[in-house]
Amino acid sequence: MKRKKGLPSYPGSRKLYASLTILIIFETIGIIAQAYFLARAITLLFDRVPLNDTAPYIALFFLAFILRHALSHFQEYLTENYAQKTSTNLRKKLVKAYFRQGQQFIQTEGTGRLVTLAIEGMDQLKKYLEIISIRMIRTFIVPLMIVLYVFTLDKISAVILVVTVPIIIIFMILLGLAAQKMADKQYATYRVLSNHFLDSLKGLETLKYLGQSVKHVYKINKVSKRYREATVKTLRVAFLSSFALDFFTSLSIAFVAVGLGFRLIDGAMVLFPALTILLLAPEYFSPIKEVGSDFHATLDGQVAMGEIDKIIAEDEKSDMTDQVTSFTWTPSSQITLKEINVGDKGSLILKNINFSWQGTGMIGIIGESGAGKSTLINLFASFLSPTSGEFKIDEKDVNTMKNDWLKNIAYIPQHPYIFPASLADNIRFYAPEATDERVKQVIREIELEDFVNEIPEGMHQKIGEGGLTLSGGQEQRIAMARVLLSDKPIILLDEPTAHLDIETEYEVKQVMLRVFKNRLVFLATHRLHWMHHMNDIIVLDNGRVAEQGTHNQLVKKTGTYFNLQHRLKGGT
Amino acid sequence: MKDWILPYLKHHKGRISLGIFFGLLGIGSGAMLLFVSGYLISKSSLRPENIMLVYVPIVAVRAFSIGQAVFVYLEKLVNHDIVLRILEKMRTRLYKMVEPQALFLSSRYQTGDLLGVLSDDIEHLQDFYLRTIFPSIFGVITYAVFVSVLGVFDWIFALLMLLVLGTLVFLLPLLSLLTTRRQHTDEKQQTNKLYSQLTDAIFGQVDWQASGRTDEILGRLEEENRLLVKTENNLRKWKHVRNALLRLIIGFVIVLMIIWTDKQTGQGAFSPTVIAAFVLMTFSIMEALLPISEAVEHVPTYKDSLTRIQKIEDEQAEAVEYANDISLDNTSPTVTLKRLSYHYPGQSKKVIDQLSLNILPGKKIAILGKSGMGKSTLLKLMAGVLQPNEGNVLVNGQSMTNELLSKTVSVLNQKPHLFDTTIKNNIRMGRPQATDEEILEVIERAQLTNLIASLPQGLDTPMQEMGQRFSGGERQRIAFARVLLQNTPIILFDEPTIGLDPMTEQEVLNTILTATKEKTIIWVTHHLAGIEKMDQVIFLEDGKIAMQGSHEELVQNNKRYQKLYQMDRGT
Repeated sequence: MKRKKGLPSYPGSRKLYASLTILIIFETIGIIAQAYFLARAITLLFDRVPLNDTAPYIALFFLAFILRHALSHFQEYLTENYAQKTSTNLRKKLVKAYFRQGQQFIQTEGTGRLVTLAIEGMDQLKKYLEIISIRMIRTFIVPLMIVLYVFTLDKISAVILVVTVPIIIIFMILLGLAAQKMADKQYATYRVLSNHFLDSLKGLETLKYLGQSVKHVYKINKVSKRYREATVKTLRVAFLSSFALDFFTSLSIAFVAVGLGFRLIDGAMVLFPALTILLLAPEYFSPIKEVGSDFHATLDGQVAMGEIDKIIAEDEKSDMTDQVTSFTWTPSSQITLKEINVGDKGSLILKNINFSWQGTGMIGIIGESGAGKSTLINLFASFLSPTSGEFKIDEKDVNTMKNDWLKNIAYIPQHPYIFPASLADNIRFYAPEATDERVKQVIREIELEDFVNEIPEGMHQKIGEGGLTLSGGQEQRIAMARVLLSDKPIILLDEPTAHLDIETEYEVKQVMLRVFKNRLVFLATHRLHWMHHMNDIIVLDNGRVAEQGTHNQLVKKTGTYFNLQHRLKGGT
Repeated sequence: MKDWILPYLKHHKGRISLGIFFGLLGIGSGAMLLFVSGYLISKSSLRPENIMLVYVPIVAVRAFSIGQAVFVYLEKLVNHDIVLRILEKMRTRLYKMVEPQALFLSSRYQTGDLLGVLSDDIEHLQDFYLRTIFPSIFGVITYAVFVSVLGVFDWIFALLMLLVLGTLVFLLPLLSLLTTRRQHTDEKQQTNKLYSQLTDAIFGQVDWQASGRTDEILGRLEEENRLLVKTENNLRKWKHVRNALLRLIIGFVIVLMIIWTDKQTGQGAFSPTVIAAFVLMTFSIMEALLPISEAVEHVPTYKDSLTRIQKIEDEQAEAVEYANDISLDNTSPTVTLKRLSYHYPGQSKKVIDQLSLNILPGKKIAILGKSGMGKSTLLKLMAGVLQPNEGNVLVNGQSMTNELLSKTVSVLNQKPHLFDTTIKNNIRMGRPQATDEEILEVIERAQLTNLIASLPQGLDTPMQEMGQRFSGGERQRIAFARVLLQNTPIILFDEPTIGLDPMTEQEVLNTILTATKEKTIIWVTHHLAGIEKMDQVIFLEDGKIAMQGSHEELVQNNKRYQKLYQMDRGT
């Protein structure tokens, strides 16, 4: 994981840092004033000056006390506003980047990770922005101003305070290293132990079938215990660094106090400055102590910031705007792939693909797993751009008309995404204006009528996450219904039926073949039966087009397709 | 709350007291460090003739400075130890709670990863102890001790402090809780909504773009974000108001201390040397009372976790008790289904309806059918993890219960979990007492020998690190070896090759059939790969047998089967 260190820079950050610096200078003046007036008041009372005469100093102390905390709140307030503005802004940019980078990017990065980054990652970044700037500026200004003031009162105390800091730093580094070493050494066992419970829960069904689930509870007990022992052992070292911080700061305060005591006895000093110094000593260390706190929040924030900035920066680099056109695929439209390569130089996923087609028709894409079927479908869908070569629609580069191209396409993966909405709204997703009547008609066409009649709320039944779960066959039917209702001219399918049971596959296939009529269809699969219906078949072998033609032509050739057929049927 | 918090507090009251004791010593040392320092310099400023007069304070200052760091460290360790002990207990309890209903959780709750959520919930409760419960208890006790000490000198002033500090310890936290309860719940709900909208946007990204509705979803996300920001701002506002109030009260308390010590000195009860001592000490005591408000404010955020766990616990299925003295007769068992019927609790529709079947030893049976037609239910009934409403499943005349699982009947379920341990341990899970030779033998039979030989760590290769590198077929083979190790005469397979590409599927299938020649196989499958090698094919429809016969019979006589077989062969 990459971490970004130092003060973050986003729009408005400079202004914030300038304001913070000024506010913190005034806050420190408040801190010194608070100590000064309190020491003054106590010294006067110590000398038995009547309370009435001391009252102005007590009042001034109270004012200084309020002032420093008010200023501190104001700093927080400004920083929080800035953090919120920045994170809202970044979240917007990030989601836009997800959309612009498209499906291929989402598939590689993983949906879950991207969602988590945009929500939890962004919160971590926000929290980091909230704490980091105040903390860093304070660590510079507050101790420096205080120690300078102490220096004017008593040089020796100032020296003690200054000397303590490097000692603290050295010990923190040493202990930090020790803790790190120990953590590294234990990491592997530690990970297994901490994962064990979740792993057991995830495998509970398997344990049950293995007949081991009841006995497993002893193991959970045992592992949890070992986990606790290992954790406490690590914590013993990990907590040492904050112990060292506490230890050296309070020891330093004790040294200052005892030193002051001796100089007072010697008569080298009087009570008032001594008391002021004693009051200021904890304030001197307080920002230093804070630097080390929230270690994890800082770490998480830095990691999140690195990732978010990277995605946004890459998106802004590849900023492309579509030419405004409005394109619809017609029987005279032409798709052309010329010398297309996809992938890195050494490991091309698709090699030298040439293909062209005009108007409607069904094109099958077949090959062994790993031959590049899905990549070719993703290429047709413009989810990914070729590394080299040309992909043109009617002589126009697809990259300049991505949005228009996508509007012509229905992309249907193995599990089409079902939105958490009503069945009807899911069906009219591409055509939100469609009436209930039309939706009903389409439901009939995809042979989902019986099912809809059976469920309690008919076509208004909520489906998807948190609603009724659909079977694989029903998902595919919904996808077909979407195509029908929006009348998309192009359909791309990636292995749509291999996961269905054979009877459902048979039924869904009949529906699909009806929908495919008069459209341009690309269908990638290893289910051979589809190939009979295709107008053209692209046989992929290791990223290359090995053969191309209709089923009958290819069978006669007794080449790659013929062999593939044989192997897929279970021959050797 | 009662069931998942209090019992643990009670059970660990000894350790908790120890933690609080260290905490008090820590805060006490901090306070005494400042008290004695204040006293020390006040006394020194009087320039005592004999240095021995300040000797004790000098030693005390050093001792307290060390004490402060040591006790805080000990307190932290003790508290974390308690929390880990509680976690240990809660994990065991959660496991015992979900174990009996393991097979039904997913169908009952429809959430993808309920168990993961529950496990997170329990982890989350650790923070409840560390950030809310312990600081609150600790704050209240510090408050009580401080007021009592003052009471020794002047009970009227102690009473005054009891009231003023009471606002810090009780009033403001209560106010905090009441003011922010709604907002914290709102915040959580809005975050969840943002989550689901964003998931929707990303999962359906292609669909949004293809429908030209990208701006709509981006607008929706922005709106959700705006609402969330509004709630956050409200919470923030309250936080600032609350902290300002806290500081104001503390400032006030310190002024009161100054006036009081002066009065006490005037009356001769105190020497002037302790004025500084008392005032300085008060600063450090106040630090212990500050965190209570924020700690208490977080109570509502733990409510969700507690309710979720509670809900699962309440719905706990009654554990069925089985007789332990089942005598096993594993020699060539016959499986008989006798007019078997099953419907899920609370539903009238029969998933399995009066189904009868006789399976002779060593026969291979394939079961097909559309999803929802009862394939998985039938398998669960045969595995004895579900009990039929009518009829019975007999193995050699004996009623099937899950006692027989792993002894007479093994199951290779649909997505067998491979645990985060070595290959060897994973396989051994099938039968923990198996010898190394037996493990090597099943590896041979699952045709894994070459794979294992190619791994540098061999059988001791951890699954997880290699998780990405083991292919679907290899993972299935490992799971299969685990089942083989149980050495049962009957094996039930629940679509073990689903998700594999056809070539791998063929290979795995061949391996399985070769290794189980002597055994009875019941194979739930979704298409016809390998169907020729089965003795009997059964199609289920509405819980009944719709088609039945050997592959040859069906292919000759059954039109529907012919149609399906042709499609599957791609001809």
